[in-house]
Amino acid sequence: MSSATSTKAVAARTAAAPGPAETTAFKPWQFFVLAGMFGATATVIVATGQSPAGIVTLSLTVLAGSLVAIGAYETLVPLVSPDATHAPKLIQGRTRAALEREKTLALRAIKELEFDHAMGKIADADFQDVRDRLRARAIGLIQQLDAGGGYRTVIDRELEVRLGRKPARPADAGTGGGTAAIDTDPAPAAAGVCASCGVGNDADARFCKNCGSKLA
Amino acid sequence: MASLGAFLLLLSFIVAAYAAAACVAGARRHSHRLVESGIGAFHTVTALLTVASGVIVHAFVVGDYSIKYVQRYSDSVQPLFYKITSYWGGLDGSVLFWAFLLSVFGTVAVSVNRERHRELIPYVVAVTAVVEMFFLFLMIIHNNPFDTFITQTPADGRGLNPLLQNFYMAIHPPTMYLGFVGLTIPFAFGMAALITGQLDDSWLRAVRRWTMFSWFFLSLGLVLGMIWAYEELGWGGYWGWDPVENAGLLPWFTATAFLHSVIVQERRGMLRVWNVTLVILTFLLTIFGTFMTRSGVVQSVHAFGDDPELARLFVMFMVGVALFGFGWVIYRMPMLKARHELDSWMSREAAFMLNNWILLFAAFFILFATMFPTLSEAVAGERLTVGPPFFNKWMTPIGLMLLFLTGVGPLLAWKKSTASNLQSQFLWPTVLALAVSGALVAMGVRVWVSGLCFALCGFVFGTIAQEFIRGAQVRRDTTGTDLVTAMVGLVGRNKRRYGGYIVHLGIVLMFLGFAGEGFSVDQQVLLKPGQEATVGAYTLHMDALRVTDDGQKQMVTAHVTIKDSSGAVLGQMHPAKWFFRKHEEEPTTEVAIRRSINEDLYLVMPAFEMQEQSASMEVHINPLVNWVWVGFGIMAIGTGIALLPETVFSFAAAKLPAGATAAMLALGLALSPGAAQAQHVDAPSAGIVVQRNPAERAVTKKLACWCGGCSKLPVDECTCGHCAGVRQEVDGLLAKGMSEEAILQYFVTQQAGQHVLAEPMSGIGRYAWLVPYGLGATGILLVGAAAVRWSRRRHEDGEAAAPVADSGLNERLDDELRDLD
Repeated sequence: MSSATSTKAVAARTAAAPGPAETTAFKPWQFFVLAGMFGATATVIVATGQSPAGIVTLSLTVLAGSLVAIGAYETLVPLVSPDATHAPKLIQGRTRAALEREKTLALRAIKELEFDHAMGKIADADFQDVRDRLRARAIGLIQQLDAGGGYRTVIDRELEVRLGRKPARPADAGTGGGTAAIDTDPAPAAAGVCASCGVGNDADARFCKNCGSKLA
Repeated sequence: MASLGAFLLLLSFIVAAYAAAACVAGARRHSHRLVESGIGAFHTVTALLTVASGVIVHAFVVGDYSIKYVQRYSDSVQPLFYKITSYWGGLDGSVLFWAFLLSVFGTVAVSVNRERHRELIPYVVAVTAVVEMFFLFLMIIHNNPFDTFITQTPADGRGLNPLLQNFYMAIHPPTMYLGFVGLTIPFAFGMAALITGQLDDSWLRAVRRWTMFSWFFLSLGLVLGMIWAYEELGWGGYWGWDPVENAGLLPWFTATAFLHSVIVQERRGMLRVWNVTLVILTFLLTIFGTFMTRSGVVQSVHAFGDDPELARLFVMFMVGVALFGFGWVIYRMPMLKARHELDSWMSREAAFMLNNWILLFAAFFILFATMFPTLSEAVAGERLTVGPPFFNKWMTPIGLMLLFLTGVGPLLAWKKSTASNLQSQFLWPTVLALAVSGALVAMGVRVWVSGLCFALCGFVFGTIAQEFIRGAQVRRDTTGTDLVTAMVGLVGRNKRRYGGYIVHLGIVLMFLGFAGEGFSVDQQVLLKPGQEATVGAYTLHMDALRVTDDGQKQMVTAHVTIKDSSGAVLGQMHPAKWFFRKHEEEPTTEVAIRRSINEDLYLVMPAFEMQEQSASMEVHINPLVNWVWVGFGIMAIGTGIALLPETVFSFAAAKLPAGATAAMLALGLALSPGAAQAQHVDAPSAGIVVQRNPAERAVTKKLACWCGGCSKLPVDECTCGHCAGVRQEVDGLLAKGMSEEAILQYFVTQQAGQHVLAEPMSGIGRYAWLVPYGLGATGILLVGAAAVRWSRRRHEDGEAAAPVADSGLNERLDDELRDLD
């Protein structure tokens, strides 16, 4: 019944979405499940003369019918409700997340390297060499993340955009085309930091990938 | 009810089409509500297919024989369990089951990842819905499980194929399908990543577990199929390279390759194009597997007969998927390019690349060999058969190479290993491998393939043990605990890595089992009550041949007492032949197996003579075969540990259902030889051991059974009646003084068009084999060239390893590194 559970969970989430005040109210999926149960019970009463296994499968099938009703409800309701729940995307989310991910990757690589070294898999000279390289990359990433501003700055900026204080940038572009490509090899140090919005860019970038202004 | 079912299928198709369209339109127009509605429709398809499944199961349970599918695959005397499992017993139902499982998986995957991968979800829904639509379309226009009889409704059904009325066979298709269908989800996420252009690692994170989960069920399905073949088909083995077995193995190879190359992308950011390609390839192979099973394009024990229209539909779908998938890969190629650097050939990356190449080559080789009859028919107009000996001959070195890499890979470090390290790393595993070889030579084992396999098993075991012990030592030194706690912590902190090692351990045990086949003993004996025959260390005493009936079938059972060499009674065994009602012409051979951890004694009664009370018996002694199942149990535990969520600590592994189930499975099979029974024996006379002429065996080894029912086993081993006839015929021909070549030629001419040789010997057959090898060689050249280029690029880069001077930043880095623990 995993499909049933997940569908219900989704239904519950949809129903609870408008606000915390409605959490105690009767939710649509509960109505459908109850109806399904009534239907199943009715089936058991009507379907006399069948084998017990037959009655069980039949009533389960009727109960599954309530899932169809929930699905139909979920399909139709979003169409008639206003398109207001659409939240603007985190403008810097992907860039930052990718950088963070990159950093974790570098840190993990250092850890793994140290572990391998401790287990005697790698020679001292090589270990030093590779570790220095990895550390240089990790530090570069940390600097880049710093240059992009802490999470507070990001959140503040995000809030401003959402509250409409600043003209919103073309935020939705991420979903459609190829704008979201993240180079996995960001430049070390703060070479490509944008002067106007503070976002870190690739070392060889000529325009900011966030706001489009020309880089120094 | 039948028309309700048909209506539900039609409705599902329409709703799925709406889901795909709404999601794509919603994503393109940034309309949240369209996407929401599309997802709702996607869930509705799941609900509709649940109801449709309910309808068909109900029809089976109550015996609604007006539905053709129900009439064909069940009857009134069938036990309830098999009535329910008949749902997937035939073609139409299994297509419905496929679609149903896919919709359930899709719903779960979408619900779990809805918030985390918001941008990908609309396309995941669209891709999955399109795949669902294909299967729904198949059912609606071609294989409707709800088709009814127009005029006369039969009073009873024809019954499920008796061979399929076996517990393992009842649960084998669903596990196989869980694997197949589960692999659609990584494909959908991969395609969504390609379409949206969000090609960083996030989609990999979303599908990692799905791939592991599907891979596990695929493995389970394969093993259940093996157990079924071993227990039900009665030819003494478990893997016959039957096209359908191969169909399951193909995506298993590519999925295994994917599970390994994902690690390289995660650690090193390399192989992005390769990973997307593997996902698409794996999906194509699952569809191809379903196609091969269901269309009868290659003859097989499971295939449901020739059906050119179905074949056409599948081919169209596969071509469409391939064009769409690889088209997007090519379109996104510039974005998929990552900086590749290979520091050294002696690195784990290089080992992974080699492993990927071998796995892919294995998949391609099997694909080619499986399709060979069809290909040769298309090219030369002659259907050339490829028998198991051919597969065994070529897959053995591939398997051994993989086993070797399993041992080598973990010993290499990422980036670079040097000579002195290699020495310290390889010392103990190599010593263990040499010790094993020495012991084998001392014991007088002279089967070199098995010997090599044992030695490699020792090597890999040494590697795994060393990884665990040294890792625990390092951790003990850093954390200051004892070795056991350190080991638990080690596994808990890096579940995927150490879970993976446990999976490797399972593989080692399975290989032990495979190697045991090199020592198997086969013999045929003819026994009458009171007679005895000795095979290997066992003496078989025939007590009686009895006939019984349980309403569903007539059973002819031989009662045989087994004694050891000293004459002590070990137990009773009852090989039998069952004649199911309405299926009398295809009796099933019920094997008697006496399991032990060393070897199985495996008795089959292929033929009997009721009036003379005589039974001919095939006696197989299969050493180490149970280690295959035990190995799978260990593999399941390893997968379970690797699948545990990050937050669960490793000692919770014991609670894991997947691991536990498989361990139970392994234990359940365990190895309980029947209680010894004292038997009174009246002066036993000797039975006739059917001495088979070595010249005849040499010839029949080269012939593949062409009766149509067996899986093209060599005539030498096949237990069917047809092959018994062929063996006699060969004996006769040999007596006439014909040479081996002449006899083979005689059968080839006699069976014009339907080739009977186990290995292609002449003409196109000989040259066609250049194709897979040529491609394999090209593959390794390409891997080598890429590696050379990447390692050269790295040297040109000459990235200066200057330590960063800023001490503040260095301290911060150290802090972060500490926090990572």
